[in-house]
Formats: sequence, structure tokens, C-alpha cells
Amino acid sequence: MLEMLNYPFMQRAFIAGLMIAVLASLSGSFIVLRRYSLLSETLAHVSLVGVSVGLLFGMSPLWMAVVASLVASWMIEYLRSVHGMYSDSVLAIFLSGSLALAIVIVSLAGSFNASLFSYLFGSILSVSTQDLWVMGIFGSLAMVLLLVFFKELYFIAFDEDVARAGGIRVTMLNFMLVSIIAVIIALSIRVVGTLLIGALMVIPPVAAIRFGMGFYPTTLLSIAIALLSVIIGLSASYLFSLPSGAAIVLCLLCIFIIALVVNRR
Amino acid sequence: MKFSPSLFDVNALNFEREGNLVLQGATFRILPGEYCAVIGPNGGGKTTLIRLLLGLEKPTSGSIKLFGTPQNRFKDWNRIGYVPQRSALVDNTFPATVREVVAMGRYARRGILGFESYEDKAAIVEAMELMGVSDLSDRLIGNLSGGQRQRVMIARALASNPDVLIVDEPNTGVDVESQHRFYELLRTLNRTKKMSILFITHDIGVIAEDITRVLFVNQTLLVSQNPAQLNRCDEMSRLYGTPAHVVSHNH
Repeated sequence: MLEMLNYPFMQRAFIAGLMIAVLASLSGSFIVLRRYSLLSETLAHVSLVGVSVGLLFGMSPLWMAVVASLVASWMIEYLRSVHGMYSDSVLAIFLSGSLALAIVIVSLAGSFNASLFSYLFGSILSVSTQDLWVMGIFGSLAMVLLLVFFKELYFIAFDEDVARAGGIRVTMLNFMLVSIIAVIIALSIRVVGTLLIGALMVIPPVAAIRFGMGFYPTTLLSIAIALLSVIIGLSASYLFSLPSGAAIVLCLLCIFIIALVVNRR
Repeated sequence: MKFSPSLFDVNALNFEREGNLVLQGATFRILPGEYCAVIGPNGGGKTTLIRLLLGLEKPTSGSIKLFGTPQNRFKDWNRIGYVPQRSALVDNTFPATVREVVAMGRYARRGILGFESYEDKAAIVEAMELMGVSDLSDRLIGNLSGGQRQRVMIARALASNPDVLIVDEPNTGVDVESQHRFYELLRTLNRTKKMSILFITHDIGVIAEDITRVLFVNQTLLVSQNPAQLNRCDEMSRLYGTPAHVVSHNH
């Protein structure tokens, strides 16, 4: 089975997948605790608009996904924090609106359905060396920001008002967090796909929380769950010719069910 | 305690929400070492006043100085400890141990990239000991009783070694025994540690002997220098605008 690592495309898929696993589960912990889980799903749909535009106009789908996802994340946070709109309502509007827009663009173009399929569900064949460089640079930046502001983001997740009253720059950090999540989602679409990245962000922290530990061990367990799922999922994808995103998410679901059964309350 | 002419210096403060006047012309000062009660009917603007002091709401007009510095230039937020309303109502599944919650009180002092120093660790331990939650250190906050959670939240506020503690109706969902201990704690902090206290409460009777001043908030603000006066039914009825009965009980 380890011979799969002799293939360059599998090496790239594993490097990308493990990077995404760490980033998605770490950032996902904060949105789960803030009951903002649908953000990842929404931004994934928005990034599909970027992919469609990229394919339609012959531009890099990855870069267009990053741009679309970033702009949408800022608009969502602006409407939520400045206009005081309910976050679930804002997310629902962006989720359905972006999907509608992506479908219209796909219909107009008509001829890139096969290519789009890999962006929807992920493909281990599609990660190029250039993608790895982009993921490495932006992923490292996102990781540094998450670690530097880790304790502040945790405080905000626990009690936003008290964090603000304590002098923590909540608005700036909220915008930073949604921007990081937007970038991580856009970078993940090669491996996991736009329709499934939300699961990689949400399921690991939700499963880890079931074990009833403090935040730091919960975060580490969440990362471990994501890494394990990516390793098993990519291996299954190679062995059984499955879409990589779907295989990873099924692994996550199995671990989540185990966490539920082990920690019955 | 650092020298300060006044902790809060509020002048002609007005606040409107969606065109409705919530607070009008509030003017007062809180001096170091004071124990002030903030009372008034529900919806009268007590919590709004506190949120304005903490910068969580922006006033429509008027000015606020904190420790002599205009609020928009004030940086030392760790000098103010805040225990919000319903702070004991924590999500049961939130992954946070008691120590992690108390440690949050030091985050603003630590700054970006600041690791937990010896001083931070000592302040966290001291705050937990003072509140009697040291033995709960590794327990999840969601697994504690209402009274225990309340003590943890106050420990978090105290961990930053504040000069003033702002407490907003903290006894929701808390048993009588815990309330009793809570009032004693506030008295101790004020008398022995010389900590200033701003306490929003409906239960004015039990702290009447401790407080130095009362801020009565019902859209406008009245400052009473004589808290004992508020034990009189006619005075309370006048302030609340409805017949009021003062019930005395020992705590």
C-alpha cells in the first residue's frame, strides 16, 4: 500500500491534504464554538463561483476562488457585526445566492462539467506543484496568524463582550478569522472539493468536543482526527478510485460516530 | 492602587437606540475605593450605562473619561474587571476548564505573542484561591453549578488585578448560599483590597450597609449620597414611579 507514495501525484495530494487538515480543523474549532459552522459551507459555495468564473474566462480557478471567498467573508462579517443581521440569515442568503450564481455561470459556459466535478468533490490527481506552493505560502501565513492570536480568538469564542471589554480588538480579529477561513477553504478545493470542505472544518472539533476536555487538548485531538481522516481518505481514494473529498468526509463521519458512542451522556 | 483623580468621569451622557432615548444626561464620577450600587427598573438603562462605560456601546453624545483619559484613547482595559449579566449561564459543552477561563483574565495584559509568565501564573492561582475554585481547576466550566460558575467568572475578572470591578446582576440562576458568599466577597474586596466596585443589583437591601453611593437609573440618572434613604418605601416608590415595598433580610 505504501507504494502509492512513490507516485508524485500522491505525494502532492498527501502534502496538500495534511496541510489542509491542520489548518481546517484548527480554524474550524473557533467557528464551531461560536455556533458559526455554516460559515465554512457558505464560503465553500462562494468559492465555487470563483472557480466557475476562472474556468469561464480561462483564469486560475484557485486564485479566483480565493478572491471570491475573501470578498464574501468580509461582506458576511460586515453585515453581521456592523448591521447586526442574524448570522444564520446572512449565511443562508450567501449560500443559496452564490450557488445560484455558480450554476448560471456553469450553464453559460456549458463545456467544463468534467473539470468542475473535480472542484466539487476533490481529486487527488488535480494537485499541481504550483498549487502546493500557493498552499504552502498562504497556509503558512494563515497558520502563523492563527497561532499568534490563538488565545484572543479563544477568548472571543467564549465571551465576545468580555473580551472586547478587556481591550481585545474583537472586530479586527473577527475579520481576520473569516479571512483566514476564506483562504483555507479556497485552498482546499483541489483536495477536498467545495461541497465537502465544510465537513473537514466542522466534524473534527465537534467530535473532539465530545471527549469533554479543555480547549487546548480538544484542539490537538481535533487536529489529530482531521489528519487521520485525510490519511485514510486519500489512501482509500487511491486504492478504490474514489473522489478524495468524499472518502475523507466518510472517514470523518465514522470517527464522529465513534466519538458519539464512546462518549454517550 | 495607581493614583487616579476619578475612575469614571461621565458628563452629559446621552444614548439612543433606533431613535428611542435609553439614557439622558447622565453625569457622575466614581472615585477610587467607592462601592456604588446601580439600581433601577428593568429596561431603565442600567446595563446600557455599564456597556457605555466599557466601550461596548457608543454614546450618542456626552463624554466618558476612564482613569482621567478620554475613553477613545484609553488603553488600560485590564484595570477594569467585568462580570456580565447571566455570566453563569455558560454553554454546557464548551471545552474550557476552570483554569483556562480564569487565565482569560490575563490575556489583555499578556499582549500578542505573550506567553504565560510567572506573574500571570501567580495571579491566576491567587484569583482562584480567593474565589475558592482552586480544587475545580481542571473541571470543565459546563459541569459546574451556577454558584461555582459565578465564582469562576469573578475569578477571571480578578485575575487581571483590576482597580475597579463592575458586576452586572450576577445572581441569575445562583442559589441563596452562593449569593450570600458573593456579597461578603464584594465587601471584602472593597474594604481590605480597597477595590472600587460598581454593582448593578435589584437587591439593594442586602448591601445597603456596604455601599457608599447609589446611582439610580431610569432613563435619567440620580445619584444618592445617602444609601440608607433607599430603604424607605416612599423614596423607592418615588424613584421607580410605582408603589414599592422594601423587604429587609439578613444575609
